[in-house]
Amino acid sequence: MTLLIKDEYPEKLFREDGKRLDGRDLKELRPIKLEVGILNNADGSAYLEWGNNKIFAAVYGPREVHPHHLAKPDKGILRVFYRMATFSVFERKRPAPGRREKEISMIITDCLEPVLFLELYPGTSFEVFIDVIEADGGTRCASTTVAALALADAGIPMKSLVTSVAVGKIDGKIVVDLSGIEDKAGEADLPCAITWFNEEISLLQFDGDMDLNELDTFLKLAKDALKEIYEMQLNALKSKYITIQEKYNGGQVKQ
Amino acid sequence: MMSIRRVISKIERNYIINNLKNEERIDGRGLWDYREWKIKHNLVASAEGSADVCLGDTRVITGLKYEVGEPFPDIPDEGVCTVMAELLPLASPLFERGPPDEQSIELARVVDRGIRHADCIQTKKLCIKENEAVYILFVDIYVINYSGNLIDAGGISALTTLISSHIPEGKWVDDHVEWTGGYITGETIVKELPIVLTFGKIGDIIFIDPSLPEELICDGKISISVTKDKVTSIQKSGAATFSIDDIQMLNKKAMELGNLLRDNLNLWQYKVNIE
Amino acid sequence: MENDELDSEEFEDFEDEEFTRDLVVPGEILTEDIENFLPGRGTILNEKKDKIISLNIGLKKITKNYINVIPLRGFYTPRPGDKVIALIVDKNPVKYRCDINAKDFAILKPKNTYKRSKIKTRGRIEKDIGDTSTEKYSIGDILITKIISADRLNMPELTTVGKYLGKRSNGIVISIDTPKIPRVIGRSGSMIKLLKNLTKCHIFVTQNGRIWLKGEDLAHEKLLIDAIKKIEKEAHTVGLTDRMSEYIENEKKKRGIN
Repeated sequence: MTLLIKDEYPEKLFREDGKRLDGRDLKELRPIKLEVGILNNADGSAYLEWGNNKIFAAVYGPREVHPHHLAKPDKGILRVFYRMATFSVFERKRPAPGRREKEISMIITDCLEPVLFLELYPGTSFEVFIDVIEADGGTRCASTTVAALALADAGIPMKSLVTSVAVGKIDGKIVVDLSGIEDKAGEADLPCAITWFNEEISLLQFDGDMDLNELDTFLKLAKDALKEIYEMQLNALKSKYITIQEKYNGGQVKQ
Repeated sequence: MMSIRRVISKIERNYIINNLKNEERIDGRGLWDYREWKIKHNLVASAEGSADVCLGDTRVITGLKYEVGEPFPDIPDEGVCTVMAELLPLASPLFERGPPDEQSIELARVVDRGIRHADCIQTKKLCIKENEAVYILFVDIYVINYSGNLIDAGGISALTTLISSHIPEGKWVDDHVEWTGGYITGETIVKELPIVLTFGKIGDIIFIDPSLPEELICDGKISISVTKDKVTSIQKSGAATFSIDDIQMLNKKAMELGNLLRDNLNLWQYKVNIE
Repeated sequence: MENDELDSEEFEDFEDEEFTRDLVVPGEILTEDIENFLPGRGTILNEKKDKIISLNIGLKKITKNYINVIPLRGFYTPRPGDKVIALIVDKNPVKYRCDINAKDFAILKPKNTYKRSKIKTRGRIEKDIGDTSTEKYSIGDILITKIISADRLNMPELTTVGKYLGKRSNGIVISIDTPKIPRVIGRSGSMIKLLKNLTKCHIFVTQNGRIWLKGEDLAHEKLLIDAIKKIEKEAHTVGLTDRMSEYIENEKKKRGIN
């Protein structure tokens, strides 16, 4: 099986004018759009567009555990299922879940669990379904970010939201929010996530090479980007209600 | 209505039936009215064609990917198109994760058959070099929200995806394929537009486009694919029986309503031009 | 047939005019003044114990020195005394299994479906008559029930013995977000009375997010359902009762019904 156009990586990841290939500065995020409560059959849901990434997240829970032997008597269980559509990537992906999807599912589960109160729901399960319709770099970060919104939309008590972004190094320069090309052709990629209730890291991976002192730079850059994305998550959660409030309160909404 | 459960309450069943007896449906539609259609095309850049279709609250996103490979020995000068469907758990608590089950297989196969026999896809135009290289098209349907009648939504979604397609054009050079730099689009690949229409039956009453509660209590369904003047496929499902008069009536209705829908949706507006 | 018991102070949640209507989200800091405030419903003290934060997306409400968050989204947690609409999904000879829109199914035992009657026989001990079989109801029946027990270890238990309880053979049941239910009832029942009078429907609102209703015809029922959906969407705003009155009157004109 062949494709007519090859997936080629450009030589340089910076343009003549110093900007990245999509026109961004080093610390600039791609455009992000978030929407909450878009699927009415799930208990909670959210949709995200982040650059070219398009991702749906939906939550069911608390509900019975299937298969039953996985239920824990002393706490609830959280399961995340991250899947990509066959047409979400350049070369058609097989429909069945692959190893990468299973790994990412596990990482996102571990990342979201700290903000939940699973001990309050013994014998039940919370399930998060993440479906990537289009992928373009940083999908695990985007998925975590949208999944946190879906959990909040489901009315599940949370210690705080979770926000995620990837920082990395391309052509020797440290940048924020790697696109698909930058991810594949760059030298280093560090996806991370923060749980805001204790401002600690709940997701951390790294691929590439980095000096010992570069980690500090990476994480500082990440923190700034995470704050920016967090504001967007908060707006998305509130905006549905605030629009309605403003319509009927004559704009006298206190923020 | 009450949120989805596998068991439907008797009063909900009676409610729907009593109103149907007055030719009224609980969402205010007539027996032969579709819910509202909303269609977006070419939304996924990584796909060579895509569509996001809403029929009422049912939402389906479909994408097209291609590969170049050897043809089947019995059709050496024709390309191939296969349809797959997945009922995503996020679409409904009734959908479990895992490999495609009966419902998703039925969706894929009914949509596939509706397209296959209708001279819709010009498979000879999908041939690059006879016996050596043809296009293999994958039309993959993902159900994003389930609110009844996945088949009709899936059908329009697949059709719109094919119309919006833009596949790199290949030529045969010596012993391999190469990209010409151009694209073949839906205009070349698609000719006829078969429309699949699904009818539900509750008691003695038959109606089009079952909504979710109607679908969950219906005794049977029948899906009929039509072009302008031909019936190209039929699928009956569920335990209900249909009289021969009913079936003849439905074939006529399908042709009439199919033509109406085809005109209303004007799917050719979704073709894509690429230099 | 209708709700007239307002036995929980929660019904006042959305109506209290002292309500700040501040919309808050999980993790949002409600106050750092922990000297003067205590964490109430829907809130928690953080790990360092110097802030009170919200656990849910909801409306901030201060009652005396408690900071509460009334959630706008959430699932139903069964509590003894709650009236809930149950759907029978399964039964065996000794009990019914019911869907009550909670994480667990609920159990209805036959002894809780019949009023206890006693036979007095001359000189002898009073005998209980109560059916012990599950003949009374079938799968698919809608029942208005009351929860008699609900705890962490056991499935909730229901009863259909009581005022307004029992099987409903007509009408229709709809679901809304559980946290919005108090708004459909309103302060001292103001909203539900308005809905009943203006749409001329019978209506029974229960705690598990389900509402049973019956009107004189489909058009009135549809109007009531649309009105309830509007309440669900705007539950967090002020002046809703007046707005609903206006809405229903306008819709009646538009739809040509009275």
